[in-house]
Amino acid sequence: MIRVWSHRPQFLHLGFFVAAYVLGCGFAQSLAIVPGTGISIWPPGGLLMATLVLASRRSWPWWVLGGLLAELFSNFLWFHSPLPAAVLIYAGNALEAAAGAWLVIRICGRPVRLETLQEVLAFVVLGAGIAPVISASVGSATLAWFGIQSQSFITAWPLWWIGDATGVLIVAPLTLVVLQNWHGKAQLSAAQWMEASVLGLIFLGVAALSLSGYLPFAYIIMPPLLWAAVRFDFKGAAVSLTLLAVITAVFTISGASQFAGDPESRKHNQVMLQLFLAVSAFSALIVAAISRQHQLAVLTLRQSVEALRDRERELSQLVNMVPVQIRRLTPEGEPTFFNKRLIDFFGLDVGDLDKPGMSRLAAVIQGLVHPDDAIRLLETARHSFATGDPFSMKYRMRRADGAYRWVDGRGEPLRDQHGAIAQWYVISIEIDDEMRAQEALRDRERELSQLVDMVPSLLWRLSPEGEPTFFNQRLINFLGLDMADADKPGMSRLAAIIEAAVHPDDAASLREALNHSFVTGERFSKTYRLRRADGVYRWVEGSAEPLLDESGRILQWYGLSHDIDDQLRVEEALRRSERQLQQLIDTVPVQIWCVTPGGEPAYINKTMMDYIGLKLEDFDAQQGLAGAIQTIVHPDDRIPLERALTHSFSTGEAFELKFRNRRWDGSYRWTEGRADPLRDESGRIIRWYGANVDIHDLVTSQEALRERERSLWELVETLPVMIDCAAPDGEPLYRSRQLREFLGYELEELDGTGKSRLAGTLDAGVHPDDVAGVKERYAYSLSTGEPYARKHRLRRFDGEYRWVDTRAAAMRNAEGAIVQWNIVCLDIDGEVRAQGELRLAQESLARASQAASLAELSASIAHEVNQPLAAVVANSHACQRWLTAEPPNLERAQKTVERIIRDANAAADVVSRIRALFKQSVEPRHAMALDSVIADARDLTAEEAARRRVRMDVDVESNLPPVALDRVQIQQVLVNLIRNGMEAMDTITTDRVLRIRARRRGNAVETEISDLGRGVESPDKIFEPFFTTKAHGMGMGLAICRSIVESHGGRLWAETNQPHGATFVFTLPDEVGAE
Amino acid sequence: MSKRRPVVAIVDDDPRLLESLEDLLESAGYAAHSFSSAGSLLISGLSGVDLLITDIGMPGMDGFELRDWVKKVRPELPVFLITGRHEIADQDRARGISGFFRKPFDAEVLLAAVDNALSNRNMEDDHES
Repeated sequence: MIRVWSHRPQFLHLGFFVAAYVLGCGFAQSLAIVPGTGISIWPPGGLLMATLVLASRRSWPWWVLGGLLAELFSNFLWFHSPLPAAVLIYAGNALEAAAGAWLVIRICGRPVRLETLQEVLAFVVLGAGIAPVISASVGSATLAWFGIQSQSFITAWPLWWIGDATGVLIVAPLTLVVLQNWHGKAQLSAAQWMEASVLGLIFLGVAALSLSGYLPFAYIIMPPLLWAAVRFDFKGAAVSLTLLAVITAVFTISGASQFAGDPESRKHNQVMLQLFLAVSAFSALIVAAISRQHQLAVLTLRQSVEALRDRERELSQLVNMVPVQIRRLTPEGEPTFFNKRLIDFFGLDVGDLDKPGMSRLAAVIQGLVHPDDAIRLLETARHSFATGDPFSMKYRMRRADGAYRWVDGRGEPLRDQHGAIAQWYVISIEIDDEMRAQEALRDRERELSQLVDMVPSLLWRLSPEGEPTFFNQRLINFLGLDMADADKPGMSRLAAIIEAAVHPDDAASLREALNHSFVTGERFSKTYRLRRADGVYRWVEGSAEPLLDESGRILQWYGLSHDIDDQLRVEEALRRSERQLQQLIDTVPVQIWCVTPGGEPAYINKTMMDYIGLKLEDFDAQQGLAGAIQTIVHPDDRIPLERALTHSFSTGEAFELKFRNRRWDGSYRWTEGRADPLRDESGRIIRWYGANVDIHDLVTSQEALRERERSLWELVETLPVMIDCAAPDGEPLYRSRQLREFLGYELEELDGTGKSRLAGTLDAGVHPDDVAGVKERYAYSLSTGEPYARKHRLRRFDGEYRWVDTRAAAMRNAEGAIVQWNIVCLDIDGEVRAQGELRLAQESLARASQAASLAELSASIAHEVNQPLAAVVANSHACQRWLTAEPPNLERAQKTVERIIRDANAAADVVSRIRALFKQSVEPRHAMALDSVIADARDLTAEEAARRRVRMDVDVESNLPPVALDRVQIQQVLVNLIRNGMEAMDTITTDRVLRIRARRRGNAVETEISDLGRGVESPDKIFEPFFTTKAHGMGMGLAICRSIVESHGGRLWAETNQPHGATFVFTLPDEVGAE
Repeated sequence: MSKRRPVVAIVDDDPRLLESLEDLLESAGYAAHSFSSAGSLLISGLSGVDLLITDIGMPGMDGFELRDWVKKVRPELPVFLITGRHEIADQDRARGISGFFRKPFDAEVLLAAVDNALSNRNMEDDHES
């Protein structure tokens, strides 16, 4: 009860409802024109149904109760039906309203506005059609049961049903409109008000005219009714229907209506009235619903358009706002739209670049895309337009300021339902910064890559598992292979690389070290040999560090191998060198020692140990250096040695001393010790390094040499020869005692005179007549290096000029350069004087020979002269004959005379040439020994023989008998023959030997002079005068010899020697033979 | 008598003398053939030669040897020897030989001797003929 109470509607509403219900009952009573039939139209049914439709279901009992009260009140006023019948009838009515409301709500859903055709139809069919079946059945049955107005069920039911249906059709919409728009504002415009007014007038007029019967046809009201329904839809329809019902009721009640009439036709008219109202209501509601629906549709459309417009504006804004350049193209690819960003970018719109004869696409691309990209872009785009495939490409577009900017362009087709391309949308996003960033990144990467490749180290990277993932270029170049080149199936890449590139001896340990690092994550470091591309294994120092992420997990191993081969080799070489040096120091035959700056022994080499028979430790045990000196130095040398060492140690000067050192065998030997300090950069002495050399043998040999030199010196000084030594330029360096004594001054006295020593000596000593020649010869020898030999006069200390023979020869070193001139000077004054006498003898001999051979010569001359003379005589005769001939032959005579003159001149020449030869020599002949004559001749020719390098071999038999002879003439013969023999040997290269033999042969002494020369061709002719085989000879020598010999009663002839050479033999009869 | 000019061969190593002798002989109406050595005469041969005048002192074959050789080949051929060396002329082998002249010789005597020698020969020839 409380629950029902809580859903109670406001009493005011309930009051209005009851009042309206009562009013409706009154209205129905007023239209009940047919007696006995009760009512024709039942408005309260429509009212209750509409109320229930609008009210909540829980408030329904209240409204049903209100209706019951109103109906019972109306029954009391007008119907006067028995109360049970009235209650039953009301129950039918309430049931009808509840069923209709429930069905309509069920079909249409709340709120029921009756604005759609579906709702109106549902309302008409369910509310106005089916629900009244209930009330009609209940009402008709009640009427029939109670026999009210004597109605049967069958006759009452149609009227009841149609009356209820009409009431629902007319009142329910009106109620709905009124209740739902109770608070709704009147939203009619002035025009609508005007229309409504006009329509109202028309409607009222037509209704009045038609219903009043003035117009014969009630349905003429339909057009205004429908007009109202169309223009003012449901409200208009409801109001109009209400008005129509009221007007109809008024006219029907007044009887003016065509539905009025006589009582017979009343029933029919009532049915007609009900039908009229039902049809009108039905039509108006349908039309109103349709109109409403149409209006709603129009409204919705308008709203949709509005919404679309908003949406479009929004989208357009979006299109312009998004930072993307957008263009739209036709399916053929012609641009039709640029978005604002694109226009801003280009600084021009889609049509600005149009060119005649060129597609817009080409024009746009050519005008706005970087020339390097334009062709590619155009091709790509055209390809896509042709195939319909989307495209994507990066290219450069020219911005309004002329700068090209990288963009990422993408095009996609928009297709319609049939799949045909409707549009192309192309967007581009500026990616210039990205491109530049990428480029910068690439540059950076390239730079890094270059860096990695340029670093003069071999760089590599391994995965956490140890698989190589990167080798730098240097490593690739070094190995001659990249990571993958050594790959082998069934073997990890690392293992393959190690096998291929690491020295077999190092491979195992390297693998182990790497594995250790991989497992523990510790730094890897190892020295191993790596095979270079040329097959040479190089030592490298490899190291690697792991790169860890935040959690300490190994991401990569970064490794570096450094070529340390050279370094290792250098170290190796150094070690070797050190070893060699040590060996060297130990094996050099020099004792090497080293002491601290304070003089404490620090090192002695093996040679020294062996030499002194002691070790370094032995010194230490014996008070260091002092002890060492005590032990190994000769007692006489200890103090000087200590002094010299102390001096060196205190001053830093080099140490050098010769002293006697005790050898292991106890013998003291001369030793030369030297030591120099080794200083650090600041000049402080770090060590003294010393060397002892055994110079004992040297010292002794030097002593021997000195002894020998002294003896040589004495030899030179005491030799009976003057000896001089000069520098290569001739300056005297040394003079022997003999020379100094001869000259009477010392060499040094020449210095300081402004002249060289040589010039001083020559000017002071050499005879003024000789000095020029001597200087010239000296200069020649000094400049050419040829030996010097000259005789000249030299002033002795006492002022006497004496002849000396000076000879000098150059002493050369191994290279042939002159190091010294050695000069000997012999006093040959006596010899020169003797030679002068000899020369005088020679000259006399020559004169004698010329005289002696006069006779022979005359004969020869006679021949020489007779020869041209004979020609002259013969010619003279001939000439005479030519002249005396008949006729005289003058021509030939002339020629002959010329010859005469010529021949006569020739004869005169001969005479003048020979004249000079003649000299008278008259010597008396004495008997004398031939050997002395031969000795004289040999002495005379000795010099020449020496000059010609001829050895003279003289063999004179002893006890030769004396021979009577002209000494000079025979000397001449001998000299002549000796000289001939020597000259004959000039051209031979073998030994030049001239043999002179004298022996007794019967009563004569036979003398032979034989040579080894080229021999004699015609032994007879050579003795003829003017016969010569020599280039410069008169051809007289042998002739004269023969004449001399023959004048002495001897003979001279020539013999040929075997194998070569000639022998000239002459005989001289002894005194006995001569007599 | 034959109209042919007698041919005199001259041998001397002195060209001046050869020239002068040739001139002299030609002035006397002889045909003179000069030879500078005995060898060249031997090569040329003796045919046609009516008289030989030769020097004694010559290189190679000397005048004596040439004369001896000619005497063997043509004993009847007159040979005159001339020499400038008077000591040869004084030697034994030269003494008593006819047709021996010392240079300088008397041309008239030589020509006379030549003429004489040739006429003797002609007479002998005449006898023979």
